[in-house]
Amino acid sequence: MSNFKLEKIPKTFNRYLTIWWFMSKNSFLSYIMHRAGLLGLFAGKILRFAFFFAFIFFLLGGTDTLAGYTFNQTIFFFLTFNLVDTISQFLYREVYRFRPLIVTGNFDLVLVKPVNALFRSLMGGADVIDLITIPPLIAAIVYVGVALDPTVIQTTLFILLVINGLIIATAFHIAVISLGIITLEIDHTIMIYRDLVNMGRLPVDIYRQPLQGALTYLIPVGIMITLPAKALMGLVSPVGVISGIALSGIAFFASLKFWNLALRRYTSASS
Amino acid sequence: MTSKYLSVFKISFQQEFAYRLNFVMWRVRNVMQFFLVFFLWDTVFSDPNRVVFGYDRNKILTYVFGILLLRALVLSARAVDVAGEISSGDLTNYLLKPINYFRYWFTRDVSSKALNLGFAIIEASVLFLLLRPPFFIQTNFPILFGFLLSVILAILLFFSILFLVNMIAFWAPSMGWSAQFLVIVIVVEFLSGAIFPIDILPNAIQGILSYLPFPYLLYFPLQIYLGKLTGAAIVKSILIAGAWSAVLLFSVNSVWKAGLKHYAAEGR
Repeated sequence: MSNFKLEKIPKTFNRYLTIWWFMSKNSFLSYIMHRAGLLGLFAGKILRFAFFFAFIFFLLGGTDTLAGYTFNQTIFFFLTFNLVDTISQFLYREVYRFRPLIVTGNFDLVLVKPVNALFRSLMGGADVIDLITIPPLIAAIVYVGVALDPTVIQTTLFILLVINGLIIATAFHIAVISLGIITLEIDHTIMIYRDLVNMGRLPVDIYRQPLQGALTYLIPVGIMITLPAKALMGLVSPVGVISGIALSGIAFFASLKFWNLALRRYTSASS
Repeated sequence: MTSKYLSVFKISFQQEFAYRLNFVMWRVRNVMQFFLVFFLWDTVFSDPNRVVFGYDRNKILTYVFGILLLRALVLSARAVDVAGEISSGDLTNYLLKPINYFRYWFTRDVSSKALNLGFAIIEASVLFLLLRPPFFIQTNFPILFGFLLSVILAILLFFSILFLVNMIAFWAPSMGWSAQFLVIVIVVEFLSGAIFPIDILPNAIQGILSYLPFPYLLYFPLQIYLGKLTGAAIVKSILIAGAWSAVLLFSVNSVWKAGLKHYAAEGR
């Protein structure tokens, strides 16, 4: 930290942006090599979205509201979930390929390179399928969001809290790969994370206590997804916003500590 | 003959315990998926007297618990690895052995189902004690017999669908996973009734779906159990499921023969 110079930040940022661009380009090229598979995965993701959307549509056609939320509001929760989930998958797809690096000891090759190992492990291969789905998702969020008639402050809070949700998602991903270094288990941990986040497809208000509390504060899916959507609807208090931001800061800081601890435990086995 | 497959069953069962953490994580995932569906319907039917889509609180929560158990019985399968064996060339090992490849995988599937069902029963019991939902117990023997028959057909149906999807690897080795994601993870998950009962959909869509094989995996067996289908409707659903099983099993055989002609054991 003694060598830290403020003027170096833009230079470092540009360097990492260039590295990310090259790694993403390579990742996209490898996807293009398997066009048919890519098409299958893309169709699957679109179908999953369409099926769940249709489910909410027909369900609320029969019930009018869900936990007090109207159809538009419920759809907005679902779209916010998709936005946070899709962006984090687009950015952090490399996490799903992290285990072989640890099991084979090839993580050594990441550690010796003059690039931050965490950056390489998290963002080493962006997902082209998720990139394709992000623009229509944003368009849908704008369309449904406008129908909810938010104020400028509510919209600003929504954007701020979506970014906050992405910071929590980042913390989760860092925790998963850190745990992977220690236990060699990643595949199921990341899927459990996905299942937990999937519980935020609908507002966390539908869950009974103590599950609802756990999903809000312990595993902050509620803060990742439900809170931003509620902010746009004008349903959060300033205390709620501040606690949400504080919690994401704590989660991010804790995940970095955990990563450092995991690095010290890395044995370079099999290398 | 029987002892050969009995050995496969035992080895496959023990193999699941070799990767205990994997198995436990898989079951944890099932419980979390259950939570979303359970609490969603629990919220919709928070008023005990409410009747929506022909369900009351008793029946919908029984449906949700039924899904937890029936998923373990119908959708648990080891044959998801078939595509990988074809594309890696490991299939050759089996072709050289005096073993029927379908029976081998069906036996492994049965072993997986037995283990998953055992755990699902424990999970369902614990969740039942924790959540204390109302539960509908079917006592009509002919209906229970119809339910049992529909579950057996559902197991055969899922085995055929899974095998057909996996055999795409004969022609497109890199498509094994994406085909499974599209058909098994997405289409089967939604159209089998695992997320929601099909009868919340409009009648026209229900009519179309009733001629596809997917609702006969979970939805129709549970409809029979809940007593929402009776008499001729039970017979009709069993006949359609039976017809689909026959068609798909025949297709599995035909596609297998065509696939073997195309198989070049790449990777060996």
